[in-house]
Amino acid sequence: MDPYADLKTPPTTAATVSDVPGGVGAEESTVVGMVMQQPVADMGARTPEEEIRKMKVMVALDESDGSFYALRWTLDHLFRGRTLEENDRLGRVTVVHVQQPFQQYVFPAGPGGSVRPCSHLRCTYTYAAFYASSAVVESVKKAQEENATFILSRALQMCREKLVKAESLIMNGDPKDMLCQATEQMHMDLLVVGSRGLGMIKRAFLGSVSDYCAHHAKCPILIVKPPKEVTNK
Amino acid sequence: MASGANKPVMLVGVDDSEHSVYALKWTLDNFFVPFSSNHPYKLIIVHARPTVTMAVGFAGPGVAEALPYVEADLKRQVTKVLDKMKEICSKKSVQDVVVEVHEGDGRNVLCDAVDKHHASILVVGSHGYGTIKRAVLGSVSDYCAHHAHCSVMIVKKPKTKQ
Repeated sequence: MDPYADLKTPPTTAATVSDVPGGVGAEESTVVGMVMQQPVADMGARTPEEEIRKMKVMVALDESDGSFYALRWTLDHLFRGRTLEENDRLGRVTVVHVQQPFQQYVFPAGPGGSVRPCSHLRCTYTYAAFYASSAVVESVKKAQEENATFILSRALQMCREKLVKAESLIMNGDPKDMLCQATEQMHMDLLVVGSRGLGMIKRAFLGSVSDYCAHHAKCPILIVKPPKEVTNK
Repeated sequence: MASGANKPVMLVGVDDSEHSVYALKWTLDNFFVPFSSNHPYKLIIVHARPTVTMAVGFAGPGVAEALPYVEADLKRQVTKVLDKMKEICSKKSVQDVVVEVHEGDGRNVLCDAVDKHHASILVVGSHGYGTIKRAVLGSVSDYCAHHAHCSVMIVKKPKTKQ
């Protein structure tokens, strides 16, 4: 029996929240803005006599290595079963990528940011902001979608290798808010974030999104730190 | 990096609040109970005990006499906390739990404990302070999230909805 048969079934419900088209070519069940139809968990009244609860884990990804390390760490430490079924009993993983909306205007950097084609005028708009044409917007959007798909397919591949069932989700908006909203709406049990994302400032111990989510997410949050570099103490 | 029993170490930091109790219960429910006897982690509970000097807020002629009472009261508080934690563990039938008490500020105690035991995860509860309270009272979970040398899990007790 194909152990990955379940991963290929399409999602049963889908309420599109973002504008990413559903058919991105991934064979796994790609969920776009799906609202999970689970009963509202009564947090205070959990008892061990209930049937073994599946833990719903949401892992936030961006292009940084830190977030992929977080995913790998989660799969290694939280889903230690040896088979797909064992891991399925433990819980499910939802990998999520939040795209930041493309700014509609572009501020040219540096002198000569936008030189008019007719050079006889010889005026350069060094500090003018201009609205990006729709063609530019389209191509950037397309690049973003491809980027998101690439990230998520890498993530789903990793989950498959570790024999964990996973779903993916793409959202648009400010990562901080979207992550907190998603964990609430989808009633996630745990949110996993890397510790530093794209802003790899050495002195910042915790990235801005992780920090915000640590304060504002309603569910427990796991911050995965990258392994210590050998050069440090 | 593994402890003697070759299992990765999960450290849970507790104080005497309801949030810690909730955090410990949540951790046990999700990481220990489903695995019956074959727990994937070794559980160590760390309690930071305030020193007497931290607890005594006043200075003056009466301090010297008050100290033994303060000390005894602190001891009683600590015992209460530890008993509660041990009771929770045994209710969930999780044996083989190490409980440690260290004197000092929660932040430093927890980060040092992480280094000492080479923990893989540190679990802390969160009082859910807002920005101002956080600035005034300080936040142990915040400090640990920034400075601990391992992954940190912050477990929040959900507020009851109106």
